[in-house]
Amino acid sequence: MKIEIKNLKKKFNENFVLKDISLKIEKNKSTIILGESGCGKSVLIKTIYKLFGFDSGSILYDGKSEVDIDKFSMLFQYGALFDSLKISENIAFTDFINNKTNFERKVLSLMNDVGLNKSIYDRYPSELSGGMKKRVALARALYKNPKVIFLDEPTTGLDPINSDKINDLILKVVTKRKITAVTITHDIKSAIKTGDKYYFIDNGIIQDNGDCKKILKTKNKIFKSFITGAKY
Amino acid sequence: MKFIENIGKFVIKLFSSFGKFILFILFFFKYLFKPKFYLKNNLSFFVNIFISSIPIIALTGIFSGMVLALQSYTGFSRFSAESAIPNIVVLTLTRELGPVLTGLMISARVGSSIAAEIATMRVTEQIDALKTLNTNYYNYLVTPRVLSLTLALPIFVTLVDFIGVMGGYIVSVHRLGFNDNLYLLNTIDFLSLGDYLSGIFKAFAFGFIISIVSCYCGLFSDKGAFGVGSATTNAVVISSVLILSSNYFLTELFF
Repeated sequence: MKIEIKNLKKKFNENFVLKDISLKIEKNKSTIILGESGCGKSVLIKTIYKLFGFDSGSILYDGKSEVDIDKFSMLFQYGALFDSLKISENIAFTDFINNKTNFERKVLSLMNDVGLNKSIYDRYPSELSGGMKKRVALARALYKNPKVIFLDEPTTGLDPINSDKINDLILKVVTKRKITAVTITHDIKSAIKTGDKYYFIDNGIIQDNGDCKKILKTKNKIFKSFITGAKY
Repeated sequence: MKFIENIGKFVIKLFSSFGKFILFILFFFKYLFKPKFYLKNNLSFFVNIFISSIPIIALTGIFSGMVLALQSYTGFSRFSAESAIPNIVVLTLTRELGPVLTGLMISARVGSSIAAEIATMRVTEQIDALKTLNTNYYNYLVTPRVLSLTLALPIFVTLVDFIGVMGGYIVSVHRLGFNDNLYLLNTIDFLSLGDYLSGIFKAFAFGFIISIVSCYCGLFSDKGAFGVGSATTNAVVISSVLILSSNYFLTELFF
C-alpha cells in the first residue's frame, strides 16, 4: 500500500506537534522516520494508523482518504503485550478473544519465523526478556498478515547484539512477506541497515529526506548534528 | 489577575471533565446495546472479583453487625427498649449499612484495582494495541467490569446483610444475654421484602458507580507512574463521594 501525506498538522491543546508534514511511503518499501525524542514521530505514525485524528492536511492510502485499518499492524515501543494473557494468546489475540481455538499451528509457525522457541508458548510476558517480548510483539503484529507494518522504535532498550538481531529479523520478515514498513527510530545504524528511504523530523516539520544508504552523506546541518550528537 | 485566571481554568477543566464523563457513560450504553460479548473475559472477571472480595465482605458484615448490636444496646437500654435491638440491627443493615459499607469496601478493593490496571494498560500502550487489533476497548475492558460489578454488588450486599445479622445475633445472645430463638424470630418477623429490596436497589446503583468511575479514571489517566497513582486515588475518592451522596437520594426514593 502506498501512503501519501500532505501538509499534515496536528496539535494537542494549543501546541502543534506536527506543524507541516508531507511525505510519501512507497509500497513494499521500508521507510524510516528519524528524529529526537518528543519531536512527534510516534504521533505521526499513530495519526497515519488513524489512532489519532488530525487538524488539517491529508493522508491518502492508495489515493483514497478511507482505509481499512485491519490492513495495518503495529509493533509498539515496549511491546504492549497483555500481561494477563499467555504468549500464544497474545500472538493470536483476535482469534483468542473470539473463542477460536485452532490457532496453535499458525502461532507456532510465526514463533519460528521470529526466532522464538516453542517452549514459551504457554508462558506469560512477565517471564520474558526485553528482546523476547519484542519478538512476541512482532509475531502478534504479523499474525493478521498486514499490508503495512508500523514499527515504533523496535530496538529501544535492547543491547547492541539484540538490536542487531531484531534489525535482521525485521529485514527478513518485511522482505519475505513483501510488507510496506514504516519504522520510527533514532538509531542511525538501524536506519541504514533496514531502511530504503528516510525522513528526518525536527520541530514538527520534515527537515531532510533521502536514501537510507546515503544518510551519512547528508548536507542538512540539523540532521548532521543529530547524527553526530554535536550541537547545531 | 492570575488568581482569577486559575479559577477560570479550574472551572473549565471541571466542566470539560464532567462532559467527558457523561459522554463516556453514553458510549458505554451505546456499546452495551451493540454488544460484542467476550464471554470468557466477562466470566473470568466476575469470578475474579467474587473470590477476591469475599473475605473483606465477610469481615465487614460480621463486625458491623456486632458493633451495631452493642451500640444499640447502649442507647436502647437507657429507656428499656432492648427488645428492639434485633429489629434495629436487621433494618439498619439491610436498608443502609449493608449497601453503603459494601460499596465503600468494594470501591477500595475492586475499584482501585480496575483503575490501576486500566491506567497501567494505557501507560504501556496496551489500550492503543487493542485498537490496532481491531478490538473495541468498551467491549473488551469496560463492559465486563461494569456488568460484573453491577451484578456482583447485590450478591455481596446480601452476604453482608446475612453475616451482619449473624454478628448481631452472636453479640446479643452470647454477650448481652438475649434469648436466641426470640432474637431470630424478631429479626425475621420484622424484616419486610421492601427493606431488603431497597438495599439491593442501592447495591446495583453503587456497583455501577464504582465500576464506571474506575474505568473512566483508568482510561483517561495521565501518563507515567504518577498518572497511575492519581487514577487509583481518584477512582476511590470519586466513587466513595458519589456513593455517599447518591445514597441520600436513593434513601429519599424508598423513604
